[in-house]
Amino acid sequence: MVSKKVTLVNAQGFHMRPASVFATAMGKYPCNVTINFNGNNYNAKSLLNIIAACIKCGSEIELICDGPEEDKALDEAVKMIESGLGE
Amino acid sequence: MLKGIGASDGIGIGRVMIIVEQSLEYTPKQVTDIDAELERYRSAVDKFCENTMEQADNIRKSTGEKEAEILLGHIAIIRDPFMGGEIENLIKAQQCAESAVEQICKMFIDMFSATGDDLTMQRATDVKDIRDGLLSILLGIQEVKISDAPAGTVLVAKEVTPSMTAGINKDNIVGIITETGSQTSHSAILARALEIPAVLSVPNAVSSLSSGEQVIVDGKSGDVITAPNEEQVEEYSAKREAFLRERRELESLRGKKTLSASGEEYELFCNIGTPKDATKAVEADGEGVGLFRTEFLFMDRSSLPTEDEQFEAYKQASLILKGKPLIIRTLDIGGDKDIPYLGLAKEENPFMGFRAIRYCLKNRDMFKSQIKAILRASAFSDIRIMFPLITAVEELRQGKELVEEAKNDLRASDIDFDENIQVGVMTETAASGVIADILAKEADFFSIGTNDLTGYTMAADRGNGDVSYLYSPFQPSVLRMIRRIIRNARENNIPVGMCGEAAANPMMIPLLISFGLTEFSVSAPSVLRVRKNISKWTKEEADAVTEKVMAMTTEAEITAYLNTVI
Repeated sequence: MVSKKVTLVNAQGFHMRPASVFATAMGKYPCNVTINFNGNNYNAKSLLNIIAACIKCGSEIELICDGPEEDKALDEAVKMIESGLGE
Repeated sequence: MLKGIGASDGIGIGRVMIIVEQSLEYTPKQVTDIDAELERYRSAVDKFCENTMEQADNIRKSTGEKEAEILLGHIAIIRDPFMGGEIENLIKAQQCAESAVEQICKMFIDMFSATGDDLTMQRATDVKDIRDGLLSILLGIQEVKISDAPAGTVLVAKEVTPSMTAGINKDNIVGIITETGSQTSHSAILARALEIPAVLSVPNAVSSLSSGEQVIVDGKSGDVITAPNEEQVEEYSAKREAFLRERRELESLRGKKTLSASGEEYELFCNIGTPKDATKAVEADGEGVGLFRTEFLFMDRSSLPTEDEQFEAYKQASLILKGKPLIIRTLDIGGDKDIPYLGLAKEENPFMGFRAIRYCLKNRDMFKSQIKAILRASAFSDIRIMFPLITAVEELRQGKELVEEAKNDLRASDIDFDENIQVGVMTETAASGVIADILAKEADFFSIGTNDLTGYTMAADRGNGDVSYLYSPFQPSVLRMIRRIIRNARENNIPVGMCGEAAANPMMIPLLISFGLTEFSVSAPSVLRVRKNISKWTKEEADAVTEKVMAMTTEAEITAYLNTVI
């Protein structure tokens, strides 16, 4: 299992489009990808789970990858979030 | 008469068409052939996506890309592996497809509704829409064809779902009335995009109106007039004509320069509060941003934003503006704007206390990180720095010293920025008005913040009912202050803008033209109207009005006179 804390920088937070882009990208990896936010875990491969987490700009989240290709998955997840999820 | 929230401006006169919700009832049953049921569910999803694609195509043509995206989001939701997986798990446990869809959708609707967050709660509406669409397909229900509505139809429904909106032909639908929704809901956004007058949140609209009856929809006031008499129809027809004429006139100014009738050119900027607002400024035809409030970066969080975070936000706004000027006001906290993690002490008199530039100059690390972030963003486009609440020239000097320090730091790290970045003063205190002659020699520009300037000059709080009668930018004292600031800026050859509400006031415009203002910064929806109001005046006419106004001695006299000339 690998994990890293990152801060969400895109202005609108994890709303529809960024959540969709992120969930789709994470869906490609065989490992489990989880977002820990405010003490709760959310399935990062599900855009609905991400939206339900209500994560706003400036929030710190922990990305947790567990399983095959976990390092690669974490690397891409961190890059996506730090670059503002294409916004 | 019925009353609701006016959510899309304009007047609609037409006949009611009630959109009754289809009964989506079914009897849950236990399935035995699980594979067949899974197949039934999957083909319903395919059909749903196919319908949605078609609707999205229609709406892309009738309204635009952004509206189509709402519908395409439905496909992303229904294709969500988690949602699909949960639904299929229920079917594998012998539940019928209808019941599986309903349960899993309900789970998400409840989850989203419970967040209390506006944007997330809107997603609950999307999931409801998806549930209803899927159930209709599974139950084989034919949807009402809104696209077949005759000309002059006023749609009445519990709520207008995005998929319903897709069927709307804007030549035939003259008004929309719903029982739910607000200014910011999908229905409102879509109605505005389609330019259809809409009144939302009218209690019991569906049961109190009947199909075929005549109604008048006033999308500004939120009034729905039932059984109108001839006089009312005539009155509102005239209002409708006037509204449409004005809309056409304003639209004809889109993309044009901001010119007075005698040909002087002005800059017409927007005030924004987030990077995303920059999009609104561009869409409203603003020529730049005259005030970017940066408080949003510091609020609703538990610690200071990093320099990188701020840089990203400023850069984002400047990229949206594509090279148009962007004036960034440094942090303006204190007063009525508290940020808990900064631990500001409660003050007896916060408006005269430790706020804005005063706080920033005492918290140099925080201030410098903001200035560095702005400087870094200035490598990408025309960005200017503005200090709020200046009352003495030392504050401007210290601020500028910090800008130089920040520049040195960036140079040492080989980071690009605009070497000639302009540093200006938001003249919003009585002191800054009185020493405008001193400040103008050291500032690169002025921007008059009339809201605070009026309050500080009159020593009156507009929120206090006992003294708010004093709070007016048309007080002779405030007008003299504004004239003094503009005159000193012009004498020292620096640009001078106004970013308070008064800049959009049609009564203030001739005075500002005459005083010599060079830039107006207003809220995005006011841009075209202000451009039109500026175009009405020649410099000569504005001078004549201003000469009379400046000879008057009371606010009442001044506003009464200005009312007669606009």
